Amino acid sequence: MGPLSFSSVLLMIAALQGPGTRLTYRIRVIEPAAVTPRILASGAVSGPLDSDMRLTLRTDTAEVEALFQVTAFGDTVTVAGEFLTRRLVGQSRRGLPLWEEDTYRRLVRMTWSDTARIYPFGTSLAPAVARRAPWVELILERHFAGGEARAGEQFELRDSTRDLSIEAVVRPRRARIILNLVRGDTVSGPRPMDLVLEEPARVVQLVLKGRPTTLVVSLTRPDPARSARARALALDADIVCLRVSQPAVLQPLGTICGRLNNIARQLPLPTGDTLAATFAWPGPR
Amino acid sequence: MADTTHEQWLAQIDAELDGELSLVERAALAKHLATCGHCAGARASHLEVRVALARSAGNPHAFVLTRPAIRAGTLALWLVVALAAGLVGGWFASHRWGGPGGGGTLEDTRGTIVVQ
Ligand SMILES: [Zn+2]
Repeated sequence: MGPLSFSSVLLMIAALQGPGTRLTYRIRVIEPAAVTPRILASGAVSGPLDSDMRLTLRTDTAEVEALFQVTAFGDTVTVAGEFLTRRLVGQSRRGLPLWEEDTYRRLVRMTWSDTARIYPFGTSLAPAVARRAPWVELILERHFAGGEARAGEQFELRDSTRDLSIEAVVRPRRARIILNLVRGDTVSGPRPMDLVLEEPARVVQLVLKGRPTTLVVSLTRPDPARSARARALALDADIVCLRVSQPAVLQPLGTICGRLNNIARQLPLPTGDTLAATFAWPGPR
Repeated sequence: MADTTHEQWLAQIDAELDGELSLVERAALAKHLATCGHCAGARASHLEVRVALARSAGNPHAFVLTRPAIRAGTLALWLVVALAAGLVGGWFASHRWGGPGGGGTLEDTRGTIVVQ
């Protein structure tokens, strides 16, 4: 390899670890069969380089939820899987189902061109069970995408009797916030703004019935989730919080937290008005 | 949710209006609202603000506010249905054919990742 191509390869590697790069998890869910294995579902989720993938698989007797995280070092990738499993283990004396819950972590190292096989129900199954237990084929890809922050998801379930799904888990760094003041039936004109997490607070003025209200707002992350399941599966990943204060007052009026799902959250203000904040994904930069 | 604070009940009210609460959580909230005038009032004003916002968005007869709200509600309902169906199905399956695993160790039933 000549010096020119070597440096261009280095440049490419550096660029692929930069902020404009997107990560794609491409999966196929495959059921073993006597002749050719059957594809039950296929799909892909993508997002910024630090995106995770959530996988859910349910059968009559077991439920597997897992969160996959990728850490890239040059040409190698470490894939970490956080597994939460519920298995039906029998029934109580009163005939009620007994479930066993289990959480554990798995770690593998691979290169970008490798394929990983995830066996959600393990590899040492009884032959009768193993014949029907699907595995998940995982391929990782990365490519340039110019700052699109939103998740991309595409999933095709070829066997509709199966209960399985994949989801991209993307942690927003920016959010589009739309503020309204509400009093009774009157709503102020919407005030949209793009905020970046942990950046200095911004002053915003809203006018309702000719009366202006000045607020100081900043975007923060929520407190860690209360349940262990929510933490392990990053169920709160797309929640952001808007801290709202008055100018020159240290104690904030309150904090409004919500998912980036276009549903308005509310905060009553001392003026008697209600501040409505709607959180959404920002457009690409 | 015995030691739930006022802030947490307000978050539960939002989640309830979004259709994101489980049956058990909804029951706990209903019980609290029956005894706490403050939270009951907060829920009423939350709904009034939603009505005002829907009206100002040109959607005065909104059944629910936005598309994601419908999706979350339906999703929660289907989750309950799916879980119930899974539970009942699993129970019958286990009753008929016995549970999985065949007496293997816990480690045997755990998932693994293999690189090819
Ligand atoms: Zn209360």
